[in-house]
Amino acid sequence: MLKARQIDYKHKEFFILNDVDVTLDYGDFLAIVGPNGAGKSSLLSILANEVKQGQQKIMFKDKDISEWEVRELSLHKAKFSQHNSNEIPLQVKDVVMMGRYPYFDSQPRKEDFEAMNKLMYETDVYHLKERDYNTLSGGEKQRVHLSRVMAQLENELEQKLVFLDEPLNNLDVKHQYKALEIIKKFTQNDNSAIVVLHDLNLAAQFADKILLMKSGKVSAYGTPEEVFTSENITQAYNFPCTICPHPVNSNPMIIFG
Amino acid sequence: MKAQNKLYIYLTISALLLVILAIAALYIGVYDFNGVSPFTVLGQFIQGDPNLQLSDKYVLWDVRASRIIMAILVGSMLAVSGTSLQGLFKNPLATGDLIGLTSGATLLAAIAIVLGGHFKEYLPEMVQFSLTGISAFIGALLAMLLVYRISTSGGKTNVVMMLLSGVAITAIGFSITGFLIYISKDEQLRDLTFWNMGSLAAATWTKNIVLAIVIVISYTILLPKGKALNAMMLGEKDAQHLGINVERLKKQIVILTALMIGTCVAFSGTIGFVGLIVPYILRLLFKSNYTFILPLSAIFGSILLLVADTFSRSVVQPSELPIGILTALMGGPIFIAILIKFKKSF
Repeated sequence: MLKARQIDYKHKEFFILNDVDVTLDYGDFLAIVGPNGAGKSSLLSILANEVKQGQQKIMFKDKDISEWEVRELSLHKAKFSQHNSNEIPLQVKDVVMMGRYPYFDSQPRKEDFEAMNKLMYETDVYHLKERDYNTLSGGEKQRVHLSRVMAQLENELEQKLVFLDEPLNNLDVKHQYKALEIIKKFTQNDNSAIVVLHDLNLAAQFADKILLMKSGKVSAYGTPEEVFTSENITQAYNFPCTICPHPVNSNPMIIFG
Repeated sequence: MKAQNKLYIYLTISALLLVILAIAALYIGVYDFNGVSPFTVLGQFIQGDPNLQLSDKYVLWDVRASRIIMAILVGSMLAVSGTSLQGLFKNPLATGDLIGLTSGATLLAAIAIVLGGHFKEYLPEMVQFSLTGISAFIGALLAMLLVYRISTSGGKTNVVMMLLSGVAITAIGFSITGFLIYISKDEQLRDLTFWNMGSLAAATWTKNIVLAIVIVISYTILLPKGKALNAMMLGEKDAQHLGINVERLKKQIVILTALMIGTCVAFSGTIGFVGLIVPYILRLLFKSNYTFILPLSAIFGSILLLVADTFSRSVVQPSELPIGILTALMGGPIFIAILIKFKKSF
């Protein structure tokens, strides 16, 4: 689905990303984890074609991502940004409807309202639809944007890709699980997701593949069992930890300290 | 469906209101058509009645009607340019006059009036004829590029920088225009004073045709951009992810607002605050939903300027009140209201 080779990203003389390779298969849920400043967000924004620097080639569905037409691309991929705007003087439903902008010219169609309502139900913001976006709490705003981003990919096309940069910020436990379940369900239809996460245990539980980063480099890549070893994590985070099987689902469980 | 139907209802109602106001404005004025209603005169003129007096025809068609149409066209363009600029800068204070576009246009128009005589003969005939208009457009465009470069980086606008660069450009414009007034001859002086005051008294049908052409070009491109301007509130990167060609959108807004403001300044001088007042009122009703306020500002701008102009030419008959006084009287308090709201949000 997505192939990127030797990504370099420099700010002045300082390498933020150095020689990173990423490969994503159809239907994969890839979690990018790592300590602060490891380059997770930079990697995500390069993969999502936000920053154009250097000559790295990113192939999305076997076609160079810069050759895709902007509007066409928006039907195949969407991105949830880490820093969402705090000031949008609109109602919640207007913000979610933005996710449907690629689909209609001036009037939203029936499908657009259906997609908007469906995702507002799933992310549990339907009861807020008439509220002013600016009056919501941080977590509620996050959920509004999650439903906007997922509504954007609500179409008949196959093999879509969603990028999410720390989608769980500010969410309570229930909504963290709900958000991850929405993403997981999305990837089960042969769609893929690349998600920057901080919670390693949630990553272990939901992701198919893990990309562990440190100082702009990939320090481990593979299934959660392969990546989440105590050596890998202790070394990447510079903090001691113990790994044991999760008592319920037998995924690796990371206990710090 | 519901929301869009509502938009069409609002558009229809406000367009009807505009037509009624335009007809009412036709009745208001010093000239007396010998007891006949202006509407009858208009009917006679359209049918080509040979009994129609030349003076009646002149006052009704060439003075009053052309001025009403000009108020409608100029008001509409000023309001739409203000709304588009606010979408681009993501701030309700961005309007042509506050960020210096009007001053830029006035400055170059003034230079063209005073110094134009010296090099006019070397230019092609088409350019000679429209020298003031073209200069005003270039002035607005240069001011726009300067303000945008200074105040925006990485897709974020620094509001203080935006307003201060407007102040700087206005100061430069003011001093150079002042100098030009000092060195100009009588005939040119009258033109310059007219520019600084702003007036629709010089309306002609030729000017209206030019304004109409500019309006058709600009609106075909700008008015469907409501969705795109909404998406810009998410930030430029996120707008791009929604399939919007952000770079092209920004270029279109920069060029077309400069074109609209330049044309308005060339034909009617500096009429301030229309681009501030109209979107402010519409925002009270529709929040910042540009799919509503962008098309509606096209009609409400016309309504505002038509009412203000009719008032300004009828309140101190047979003389005229400069229209800029009225728009500034409304715009000033609104400017302060926006500032107070702005202060609260910090």
